[in-house]
Amino acid sequence: MKRFHRMLAISAALSLGVVAGGASAQVTLNVISGGSQNMVDYVTDYLGPLFEKQNPGVKVSVVGTGPDDAGSQKMLEKLSAQKSAGLAVWDTDVVIPNQQKTGEMVRDGLLMKYRDGIPTGKYAVSQSAKMALGVNVDGYVMPMFESQTALAYNPDLIKTPPSSYDELRAFVAKNPKSFGYNGLKNGMSGVAFVVGWMYAYGGNPDTIQQGPYDAKATSGWDKAFSELKAFNQQVVFTPGNAGTLDMLNRGEIAMGPVWVDMFQTWKTEGRLAPNMKLKILSPGMPGQPYYYAIPAKAKNVELAKKFIALATSPEVQAEGIVKRFNWYPGIDANVVKPALDAKTWNQLFVDVTPEDLAKNAKPFPLAPFFKDMREQYEAKVQN
Amino acid sequence: MSTPRLRNNYPLVALLLPALLMVGLLFVYPLLFSLAYAFRNEAENRWDLANFSKAFALYGADVSLTIGVTVLSTVLVGVLAVAVAGYLTLGENPRAVAVLRWIYRWPMFIPFVVAAQLMRTFLAKSGMLNNSLMSLGLLEPLNAMSLLDWRGVVVTFVWKQLPFAALLISGAMAAMDRSLMESARGLGAGRLRILIEIVLPQVRATVGVSLILSFVTMLSALSVPMMIIAGSPTMITVDMAWRVNSYGDYGVANALGFVSFAMSGVAAWFYLRQGLREGGQPK
Repeated sequence: MKRFHRMLAISAALSLGVVAGGASAQVTLNVISGGSQNMVDYVTDYLGPLFEKQNPGVKVSVVGTGPDDAGSQKMLEKLSAQKSAGLAVWDTDVVIPNQQKTGEMVRDGLLMKYRDGIPTGKYAVSQSAKMALGVNVDGYVMPMFESQTALAYNPDLIKTPPSSYDELRAFVAKNPKSFGYNGLKNGMSGVAFVVGWMYAYGGNPDTIQQGPYDAKATSGWDKAFSELKAFNQQVVFTPGNAGTLDMLNRGEIAMGPVWVDMFQTWKTEGRLAPNMKLKILSPGMPGQPYYYAIPAKAKNVELAKKFIALATSPEVQAEGIVKRFNWYPGIDANVVKPALDAKTWNQLFVDVTPEDLAKNAKPFPLAPFFKDMREQYEAKVQN
Repeated sequence: MSTPRLRNNYPLVALLLPALLMVGLLFVYPLLFSLAYAFRNEAENRWDLANFSKAFALYGADVSLTIGVTVLSTVLVGVLAVAVAGYLTLGENPRAVAVLRWIYRWPMFIPFVVAAQLMRTFLAKSGMLNNSLMSLGLLEPLNAMSLLDWRGVVVTFVWKQLPFAALLISGAMAAMDRSLMESARGLGAGRLRILIEIVLPQVRATVGVSLILSFVTMLSALSVPMMIIAGSPTMITVDMAWRVNSYGDYGVANALGFVSFAMSGVAAWFYLRQGLREGGQPK
């Protein structure tokens, strides 16, 4: 028996030694990304290997938690559980959450203020780098990219597409079932369409987008929602963001709201007919960034900062974000443009011009307004 | 298992303990917690029915749809599974029986999410189903419509659960004493009559169990309604996910979970009653 114990002790020591040895030879940078599979691919296929090459001995490990609020909610719960457990060091080094949940994470004290400590911090010039749906996130985040919704249409079926919500309504009244969207619970492009509708008809769009929160600002919503309910009778409901593109492709609908990056990627990959086009409806449709952030008690803070600095450098934003994944850059576009060839740059802005973006690209509503808006849609439009 | 035997058998208890602890900590505790917190009003810090009134105000139609879809799917699964199992047991053409036996289990190995994705392209307005019907001249293009709503969910559920039920039922039928069937056939009974009057009564318990298990599985599926139903009403699993993900609202999600639990509770009650009536432990 004694001999058995000795053997046990030796084998335990050996296996511990192996673990410790492995850890000292290699540092793992743990990244959790929200968003669709393409965002995880971006880190696994492009950013991760690039960072590993520049930092020998470092391994980037990335886990995807899925799109929309759902994916980023999982991150929030993970960090919040570690905070409540009182852990001194958390197991995540970099998170890539969406706008809504980033605001909540900052509010709950789950993130670290790091932006002044990295060389690319000065390129974070957009409005969304400072405010996330009404929460001040200045210093806590670097935008990874900006994403935008727009109306995709089939020019074979529609010669002159509607350019505003008013024109869309007139068109759909004459041609029922030509327009399709994915409602509220089936992905953000449908939510974005509803938000745009409320900006157009619900009144007080500036307050809804900039705050401050005041329930009185929503007095016009009842009418807007009842009009939307009537409008919904003439449209086709699609199963999800991808569902809208699928139905557009099969000619079952002539137009529908989509994410610009998804649209471009599908087109590049040949999953969407090459003649499909985009248009942002006025007075505006929303878009959103994804952010790079560092958890408040991350283990490898310096490495995480280095990782984010690389990810938000003009070269990586040009090659990775714009060229390979068809997103709009998260950092100042003026420093990205010189790093890109003119052809790629123009391709990004072929249907949707920078002027369109400046005029009609809007943020999502302030978080409390956004919540009210979705709940009232459920109560007044769906029921 | 009687108590004194347990008392004298510490190793047995020790062996059981890890499993019991796992079930207790990871299943029973969260379940009770979620059931209790369905009655918690976080806003006003008290216990009441606010979550339920909100759940029914917003998702009442979805609750009815969920009941309708799962019950209809269960009935269809039952009828078709008995038909498939009956043919496997009573079929006279050995080649047809062999082909059916080979093919009917396939959907069982396909995950729900993959099945849903298949159906999305199969049942769409210009999907494979409508296209085939149109090229056969059975359907006018103008009349083509999308089945991507509750009907699509029923189709997917039935397609996915049928093999499971058929497997259990055909197993029970194969284990039966064949002499009854043979003598009925000798007396001139048709196959359908043998199936309904002789075979079915004997495998009733297995049919019940397979349908209850199918019912509960379908009730808990999230991916199928999420991917197939466009717009609303939808099934309550989707609403639960939506409450948690979009609003971080566990109260209403728990209330919907309570409703779902009550539905499967009814199924479980039938299951247990069936077992007790047969005078033994439930199988």
